[in-house]
Amino acid sequence: MTESLLQRDKNDAAVEFSRPLRLSVTEDLRGFLAEKIGHATLFSITFLSVLAVMAIFYFVIQESVPFIFKGSFGESIGRLTEFLTRTGWYPQSHDNPEYGALSIIVGSLYVTLGALVVAVPVGVLAAVFLSDIAPFSLRQICKPIIEILAAIPSVAYGVFAVMIVAPWMQNTLGFTTGTNALNASLILSIMALPTIISVAEDALSAVGREVREASYGLGATRAETMLKVVIPASHSGIVAAIILGMMRAIGETMVVWMASGNASRIPSPWWDLSQSVRTLTATIAGELGEVPKNTDHFHVLFMIALLLLLFTFGLNMVSEFFMARFKKKSRGL
Amino acid sequence: MQTQLRQALNHLFTLSCGASVVLLVAALLLFLIPMLKKGAVAVLFRGTVEFRKMQAEQFDRGNEEALQKEIEQTAQSRQEIYAILDQFSRGIDTEKLTDEVKGLYRDYGDELRYKDTPKEQYTKLRSQAKIIRNHLLDAFESIDKTEINEYLDAVKVFEKGNSFSGTTVEKMFAVADGFQKTIQHVDLSRRGEYAEELSVVKEELYNLFGPRPEEKTPQLAMRRFGATRWDVAQKHLSFLLWQEKWVRSDDGQSMVSRKVRRDDPQYGSFSGTSLLPLFTLVEETLDISLKPRFTFYWQYFIDDSTPGHYFGGVGPEVLGTLMLTMLAMCFAVGPGVLSAAYLVEYAGDNLIVKIIRICINTLAGVPSIVYGLFGMAFFVTYVTRHPGILSAAMTLALLVLPVIIRASEEAIRAVPQTYREAAMGLGAGKFRSFITVTLPAAGPGILTGIILSLGRAAGETAPILFAGAAALAPIPDFGGKWWLQETRALSYGCYDITVGDKLAMMVPHKQFGMVMTLVMLVLCLNIVAIFVRSRMSKKLRGA
Amino acid sequence: MELTPIRKRAALQPGKIRLNSPPSAAAEETPCTQKTIIGARDFTFYYGSKAGVENITMDIEVGSVTAIIGPSGCGKSTFLRSINRMNDLIPQTRTEGLLSVGGQDVYDKSTNLVNLRQQVGMVFQRPNPFAKSIYDNITYGPKLQGIRSKAKLNALVEKCLKDAALWDEVKDDLHKSALALSGGQQQRLCIARTLATKPRVVLMDEPCSALDPLATARIEDLIEELKGTYTIVIVTHNMQQAARVSKRTAFFCLGKLIEYGQTDKLFTNPQEKSTEDYITGRFG
Repeated sequence: MTESLLQRDKNDAAVEFSRPLRLSVTEDLRGFLAEKIGHATLFSITFLSVLAVMAIFYFVIQESVPFIFKGSFGESIGRLTEFLTRTGWYPQSHDNPEYGALSIIVGSLYVTLGALVVAVPVGVLAAVFLSDIAPFSLRQICKPIIEILAAIPSVAYGVFAVMIVAPWMQNTLGFTTGTNALNASLILSIMALPTIISVAEDALSAVGREVREASYGLGATRAETMLKVVIPASHSGIVAAIILGMMRAIGETMVVWMASGNASRIPSPWWDLSQSVRTLTATIAGELGEVPKNTDHFHVLFMIALLLLLFTFGLNMVSEFFMARFKKKSRGL
Repeated sequence: MQTQLRQALNHLFTLSCGASVVLLVAALLLFLIPMLKKGAVAVLFRGTVEFRKMQAEQFDRGNEEALQKEIEQTAQSRQEIYAILDQFSRGIDTEKLTDEVKGLYRDYGDELRYKDTPKEQYTKLRSQAKIIRNHLLDAFESIDKTEINEYLDAVKVFEKGNSFSGTTVEKMFAVADGFQKTIQHVDLSRRGEYAEELSVVKEELYNLFGPRPEEKTPQLAMRRFGATRWDVAQKHLSFLLWQEKWVRSDDGQSMVSRKVRRDDPQYGSFSGTSLLPLFTLVEETLDISLKPRFTFYWQYFIDDSTPGHYFGGVGPEVLGTLMLTMLAMCFAVGPGVLSAAYLVEYAGDNLIVKIIRICINTLAGVPSIVYGLFGMAFFVTYVTRHPGILSAAMTLALLVLPVIIRASEEAIRAVPQTYREAAMGLGAGKFRSFITVTLPAAGPGILTGIILSLGRAAGETAPILFAGAAALAPIPDFGGKWWLQETRALSYGCYDITVGDKLAMMVPHKQFGMVMTLVMLVLCLNIVAIFVRSRMSKKLRGA
Repeated sequence: MELTPIRKRAALQPGKIRLNSPPSAAAEETPCTQKTIIGARDFTFYYGSKAGVENITMDIEVGSVTAIIGPSGCGKSTFLRSINRMNDLIPQTRTEGLLSVGGQDVYDKSTNLVNLRQQVGMVFQRPNPFAKSIYDNITYGPKLQGIRSKAKLNALVEKCLKDAALWDEVKDDLHKSALALSGGQQQRLCIARTLATKPRVVLMDEPCSALDPLATARIEDLIEELKGTYTIVIVTHNMQQAARVSKRTAFFCLGKLIEYGQTDKLFTNPQEKSTEDYITGRFG
């Protein structure tokens, strides 16, 4: 029946179709090969990203391994413990170098959290403003401003911190040094804001109008609607936004290198933001240029990079998790 | 009551949301306004004749005749200033006088020998000259005016003797004359203080007017010219006029530090000396001796800088940044757009694609300094074997790759499915419909992404720190292997000029000028991107 | 001649098609006497595991206008889009049964998709001109076929626009953006664009649903003019429209072909209860 139908249609339509509907053998082969080759080419180009990530991990690990695995197993553990728990950072010392990175790790967290303290409330509130309060025209003006804020190079922010904020802190606020944790944190918060705002705004806008209308319909004010309904509904998206902002802050190099003062010690008392600190990124940037290759110091800097890499990778995974959850939720699952 | 409270809280909430945005805008303005304002001074300023001289000598620019005329005009008023200075410093700078007299004495000895003077007469004249010399030296050393006058009178006795007329010794007499005149107005007990202050005055005059015409050209390029800019000249003028001095406070009890003019009749260091008129003269004739004129120094963006960043512009930095970003884009755009095309048009929803997506996100989150390390450990060590433009550009390319992929993916995804349907319905294959319909429609979006990542690449510093950026690298030699040479870049230059370069600390307008150039570049790219995007949405609306 | 040496020809595997299935209730009482161009036998289209259309068996004759009506979500668009395989764009779909166009099983791997889609053109629900000029929109298809000659293209543009009754309105703005046209004009442009590839069959997927009555009337006039030259299959919501333009009408409901026959007969004397319910407006 199949064949006869095909035959019948073919006979009937013979005059109609001037170009054959059936592939010739060469066309078929060519199409098949072209598609396979095209697909393979595109796939391998796309796979470049995966290779790049693997290569980054590989090279950073490769250069940091000689620092950890040197001597016996016990020694290795000892070095690693020293690296993670001691505060003495004297890698340049000739006779008795110390590689305790704790104060540097703490310094990184210190400025990052300092930045988030400012950036999270401001960012989330600004996102609320843009998604729910601002009229359309104002939003059209604010969007480019945020984009420009995000686009300004970090080194320019660094110069701003050193040349304008630091003297102001020294002269007006009376700090002993203008390049300190507060300075770095403030600038970092400005840099993290655009990320937080744009991702948080997306999250807030993804919560449907119906939800808001339901809340307004029950007589809630805007503040109550936002705080009790919309923000809780989009909290995974907002958490993802905060984590992305945190990644931006912790991975930032130039600003902290220029503005944080680079003193490798833990501030005491802990709340004293006017003291200089040193961060992971700034340590690498400041020291790698002067270190000969294949020395302990060189490898320990890669160790710091590995730490940084693992840190951001972890944060990335967490933000992906929250993003995925948020997407699922906003699809109503 | 409760409603009122709720209303109040609501208003508070709205207000704080608005305040956040205001804070945001304020942060941007607080950053942009001073940076651009201070940076603009590098390009728009009142340039003095020294600036034009510098431009003519260093960059072979400007009208030579007009410049020569200007120099002549300024020379006159400067000469008056120098005359006062010389007259005064003759009495103060005794070391110089001592050297001069000693030199003259030696010259006289040579002169006598040259003239083949008979032995006897030679000895006599020589010993007389020696006496004159010693008297003069004694006079220079003494701080007692009568004593000095005695010495000088003793010298004058020889002058009357006429036996030295027409010889070098006459110059010694002239020195003695000048010295005598000067000391009449000088408190010799304060000579040391004067000498110190005088050196400051001289240095500041040098800073204002550069080397004197009779001086030979200094080796250092930055010492060859005076104040090239009117604002700098004003600064040096105030250094010249004002001094910090400990003076008795008004109640006469304690000493206080106060800013006083150097020619202040009561407190000034030079009160009552013959140098006094110099200060008002300099102040009043400064615009005549420097001839400031409004200058738009657009060549700042293309000029090389010498020495360090002291004179000139940011040409090499701009060139380096352009080369780095363009090269980086050459590497990144193709793979970026193709990857995006694959992800949208071909990739299904399987594990591999998920891994690819995670990797792209990871790549986007890798700290820039780690890119720098990777660039050094991989591109420099294994690919180019030398830190240079190529390795730096490759590192930047890797950095912007995820940015381009994401932007392109978004743009391609935003092309309505109906476009693809229409193209396919007309018999276009997948590839054809992508090239002829989807890509052109996504083009502006992709272009926006590329422009934005161009700005990103131009601004990134950390990745190129160890991969090919250098502070004062020479302009690459395009005849040779330029891609293996290190280059300057705006981003790295900004860092170096503010933190690393000691010489640049003296010229803050250059520091801000460099940053302004970078910020302007990025801002322009962003504005272009915003423009392209708005054009695109208009086009899609059919306007 | 054995085709596709590399791939299996899944659609022709025996057993997949129920060859001996009895003619369904929907089979028309007056069989096609004309030449047929499109034929379906037990054609089933799956979105994932859900069937979009099920066991469709029908013939469409050459040079006629065939309307497919039915309530929303009944699979009429799915069936239409299967004919030139536009459903390929949707991931995770598969088919069973047979759908033939001009004697070629369209879901067979040996189908030349390019030629198929060029000769089975499609007009979509919403006008979807490219963001290019009117001229470029129309020459898109011919250029794909390799026609490069300027004179030929110009002639073709004029002819197609005249065929689509658009020429008088746009002849002075051929190089303006197609997106600047009104909705009705855009839809006629899309028809002109389809005609430019010289198709034999034109599939229209609710071409008037996004248009106002005036524009709809013009499109209907156009269909009237085009029939005979082209085989037209039109999916529509609008029963009056189906009655006005078509020679034969198929009624789809819940993915099944309920009834298929001469339009006047179907509307005046429906055989099935659900058809009657639908055309009398009791549901849908």
